[in-house]
Amino acid sequence: MSGQQSSATDDERDGSTGHPQTESSRGPVVVRTPDGALSGRALDVRGRTGADIDAERLVAAVRCGRDDSEDDTERAGAVDRSVGVACPDPGPAHEHVGLVESGMALRVRTALAAGARSRGLSAPQDEALASVRAELADLTVPEVDAAAARERLAGTESAVAAGRERVATIRGRIQAARDAGRETEDLREELRAAARELSEIETERAAAREALERAERRAREARDARERRRRLEDRAANLARAARSHLVDAVREEYATAVAAVPGPDRGSDPHTIESPFDADPVSAALAVGRVAQLRAPVVLAVDRFASADAAADWLDAPVVRV
Amino acid sequence: MKRSVVLLVVAYSRAARGSLRNVCRTHEESVVRRFGRVALLSETAFAAFQALRLRAKHGSDIQIERTEPFNEFEVLDEEVRVAAEAYENRETPSLPYATFAARNDHPDPDELREREL
Repeated sequence: MSGQQSSATDDERDGSTGHPQTESSRGPVVVRTPDGALSGRALDVRGRTGADIDAERLVAAVRCGRDDSEDDTERAGAVDRSVGVACPDPGPAHEHVGLVESGMALRVRTALAAGARSRGLSAPQDEALASVRAELADLTVPEVDAAAARERLAGTESAVAAGRERVATIRGRIQAARDAGRETEDLREELRAAARELSEIETERAAAREALERAERRAREARDARERRRRLEDRAANLARAARSHLVDAVREEYATAVAAVPGPDRGSDPHTIESPFDADPVSAALAVGRVAQLRAPVVLAVDRFASADAAADWLDAPVVRV
Repeated sequence: MKRSVVLLVVAYSRAARGSLRNVCRTHEESVVRRFGRVALLSETAFAAFQALRLRAKHGSDIQIERTEPFNEFEVLDEEVRVAAEAYENRETPSLPYATFAARNDHPDPDELREREL
């Protein structure tokens, strides 16, 4: 299927560059199931193959089939042989509202900002953000692990203590032998050996201390780089937040209108009593974001808000697969 | 009496800072104090375990040190304590310490820099 399918999709995508509003929202969607293939802008796959199609699998197929090359189609098929989807690339908003199901979680502002981007809007912070991110990507932070040096030193510290104890014990025994008038030559030989050993361990400890000091010095220098990276990360996060809030502001009114227009009997809150459209229940918020956004890949819909897949596709102005 | 010896944990990335914050929130009893991306943890094996978990997760983005209590009466000569007190009570706020020290027979700042605790 991939050969013909992909060329059709490519044509469609080429067209969509010229007329995003009309073409892309009408991109061909083909859902392949064991029963056969369904194609169109509003599909209802309920009852097609029973338990074989669930929302998660389907949305995964939509997202991983993002490239129409043969290779990727194969790979998409490998994920789940029973469902395959050919459709235009999911844009930035699809990640957030490409699957609408009850009990979903949604970061509304993040999703709405992605929705604004899907329509080609940008934020004044984008350039600065890209440059900070590029700087972050270029920044190398040396990894310094002083654990080996600490472990080595800890081992020599206890060995020195044991060696000292041993020397002291032998000295005590020599003293006792002397007091008792016994021969001490063997003990003194033992003492010399113990003293030699102790001196070796002490040398090793000095080397271990030096090695740890060097490792700690390197770690301190590396922390300067880490500190710089963290400041860049903070700056990137601040810019991303500002960009998001700019994008949200740009479509706020439209989103509020969409929230008020979301249909469906199982709405969590009455639109007239909600203080802010951002407090809408996640399903309503996701649908409203979907209406504001430009969605090219199909929205997988697992809620009863619309009379039909067609009604949903019209309301969202996006391809829909009802599961 | 609570011992004042503590573990000092410093985070060097946003992710590490987030984890440190979570650990501090979850194990308040182990936290002596937290400042942004730095925390002082109590000197217990459990606190050390939490610190090591953070390091296992974030590698060198987590620095762990053990701090000793500072006793100026133990580690410093009296003249240094007296000099600090006197300089903070000086009458001319703009007077640099070096000049102040020379005039009033307090320790020279360069000499202090060389002196270890």
